[in-house]
Amino acid sequence: MRAGRLTASVAGIIALTLTAAGCGLSGGSDGGDATAGGCKVDKGNVGSGKLTGDVKGQITFQTTNLKKDFGDFFNGVIKDFEKAHPGAKVKWIDDPGDNTFTSRTVADAQACTLPDVINLNAPTATALTKAGYLLDLGTKDPDAAKPFVPSFWKSGTFKDAEGTSIHTVLPWYTGGVLITYNKDLLSKAGVDTTKSPTSIFGLFADYEKVAKAAKGKYYATMANPIWRIPADWDQMNIKTLSSDGKSAVFANDPRTVQWVAWMAKLYKEGAMPKDSLSSSNDPSTLYSQGKVAYGSTNPSFVRFVKQNSPSVYAKTGVGQQPYDALGKASAGAPQYISVAATSKHAPVALSFAEFLTDAENQTAWCKDPDVVIFPTTTESLNDPFFQDVTGSDPFSQARKLVADQLKTASTNQTNLSPAVQNAIVSQVQLAMQGKKSAEQAVKDAQEKANELLKQAG
Amino acid sequence: MVATQTAEPVSVPGAGRTAAAPGPAPSRIRRFARAVLPGPAPGANGAALYRRWWLPWLWTAPAIVCAVVFGVFPFFNTVLLSFTDAKPLGGAASFVGLDNYTRMVDDSDFWLATRNSVLYAIVVVPLMVLLPLMLAVLVEKNLPGIGFFRSAFYTPVLASSVVVGLSWQWLLADDGLVNTWLRKAHLIRSAIPFLSDSWLILFCAMGLTLWKGLGWYMVFYLAALGNVPKELHEAASMDGAGAVRRFWHITMPGVRQAMMLVGTLTGIGSLRVFTEIYMLGSSTGGPGGADRTLPFYIRDVGLDPITGNAGYGSAVSVALFALTLGLTLLAQRLTKEDEA
Repeated sequence: MRAGRLTASVAGIIALTLTAAGCGLSGGSDGGDATAGGCKVDKGNVGSGKLTGDVKGQITFQTTNLKKDFGDFFNGVIKDFEKAHPGAKVKWIDDPGDNTFTSRTVADAQACTLPDVINLNAPTATALTKAGYLLDLGTKDPDAAKPFVPSFWKSGTFKDAEGTSIHTVLPWYTGGVLITYNKDLLSKAGVDTTKSPTSIFGLFADYEKVAKAAKGKYYATMANPIWRIPADWDQMNIKTLSSDGKSAVFANDPRTVQWVAWMAKLYKEGAMPKDSLSSSNDPSTLYSQGKVAYGSTNPSFVRFVKQNSPSVYAKTGVGQQPYDALGKASAGAPQYISVAATSKHAPVALSFAEFLTDAENQTAWCKDPDVVIFPTTTESLNDPFFQDVTGSDPFSQARKLVADQLKTASTNQTNLSPAVQNAIVSQVQLAMQGKKSAEQAVKDAQEKANELLKQAG
Repeated sequence: MVATQTAEPVSVPGAGRTAAAPGPAPSRIRRFARAVLPGPAPGANGAALYRRWWLPWLWTAPAIVCAVVFGVFPFFNTVLLSFTDAKPLGGAASFVGLDNYTRMVDDSDFWLATRNSVLYAIVVVPLMVLLPLMLAVLVEKNLPGIGFFRSAFYTPVLASSVVVGLSWQWLLADDGLVNTWLRKAHLIRSAIPFLSDSWLILFCAMGLTLWKGLGWYMVFYLAALGNVPKELHEAASMDGAGAVRRFWHITMPGVRQAMMLVGTLTGIGSLRVFTEIYMLGSSTGGPGGADRTLPFYIRDVGLDPITGNAGYGSAVSVALFALTLGLTLLAQRLTKEDEA
């Protein structure tokens, strides 16, 4: 009896496994109509040739955590679009944008239910492009690049499954990068606040001066290296990945070891709070209390200080980020708008994506008093709102400084997967704790990164 | 069509006289079911009339479908994927045999994550079995104001993980509440590195799990304590047994089944811990990734949309399942031996 039950159980398991095999491993084309990422799509959505068709039908538009603060603005944009295109309807949904965003978006893509127009970050866009779930905008609308600052358009280049670089996103908005600091604390340390450092190591030297002057009473900056990798290396023109993106090469540049050695030295000398090594890297609270000399590199941080700590705001200065070997600002990692290749009304989706990211709408949103963001179209950046800065307050200065640098920003933005970034950061943390030499940490970091890149194929 | 429109009642095979008893005409569906499906035993009456072999399946079908779709199928799919090089975003996957499992054996990061998960279970399970029981014994008595304490102990269960994580970060920071108190009490000179030492992060995460789970399991025990006869306590008291002896010889045997349940649930939860490590050790899982547990490791190697290998991630998931099952069976066996 027991043997019979066992046989039946094993047979059941095999049957279920085979069923799972049928469902779980299917993928790619089913030999029918055109497919994108394993989903059946309209033939016009894939392959060569400009996208044509009537701008009619209903589409879904997904933003990331914007409905609460900018509901009126986006409802207005949608209304304008629908008015300009009778027959077109836009349904707006807003994702909370938590740390499960990428996995949920990936699940949507696999289920062939990706929203028609979707706000993406670079890692998610990379994954979806590689799997073929996004419309090739460069092909489907050859004029798509025209409104954008060339560096931003170029930053939205990702590799498809064959390794060909294609444009699947429209640049939308960016935060910009600059240095913010407490003038009093820097003056006490003998750092010249009228002259920003021109190199990353120059900035590190200033951190060291602050640490020596502070004697543990306050800090220069936060320790977690996750917000410096790969941004600092990009600025220093250190190649983090090979040109095909399939292997890590940063250990080949001797400046990487120097950079890690600097971080380890600064951590040991007390330039950074010890408990910030692997926890929060947000200096907002400590900066507002006057306990950290350098604030966040995001211009919106200046507004945060202005609103929450007026006394510290009065002592706050802003300066150009060190251009280092790159010689100009990095375009950073803007937010993108993309169109799903699975869209049933792709002409409507593409038309709305371009309408949303055009100069007029970008400029209008950037002028919203509730936001500190910067546009990615040339026309918007030349708007008097960004150029005619009359005030000498840090907030106005920050706005002009970032707007100016974005017009000529570099495209040198390395797009690391979260797992690879964590693998590199982990090894740097060990070096900062003195558990490994800088050389060993860089070598191990490259090995760990390559293990992950190798399994990605 | 004609048959369903007839007003004549359809006799149920084997139902005898009762089925033909006068009354309201049966519905179309019932008449169809009676005509097609096998009926109750000859001579059946009353409730037996409605006993059909398929009825239990009908009532349990939604649960069975859910279990198969969300539990059984994903499990077997995971086992199958563990023999492939599948990617998180799908696409063609190749069969790679036991490669993922042999890679696991040589993977030092996998063993580090396994050590952390097992250590987590070893520390958390016994404490989570005993502490809520002691707490339940304390708040079981109907004293004035005891409701406040019951609510207070249960509050952490309701708090969101994000809020709890931020609160604990604030408590454990170098200039946080704990270090400040210890410094003011002259017990330490420099801050204890709760958030930068990998061992301390792991133990603090265990503390967080315990703190958040105490109230939940306390409620389990409060229900179980209600089944322990009060007469036993009274008799033991009269025989001179103290509180500790009564707890050990009466209360604990009385809630043994609940302890077994709590132990099993906590064991499974401990091996799957992720949030606490993420809250205190950030996305790297502590400095150098030294606090990563198996679910953390599965996220890193299997779920990353760009560099993830769902095949390898599935193999690690299968290992986690085997570990969970093994420890659960071991705990059951030890309990049975103890009872014997």
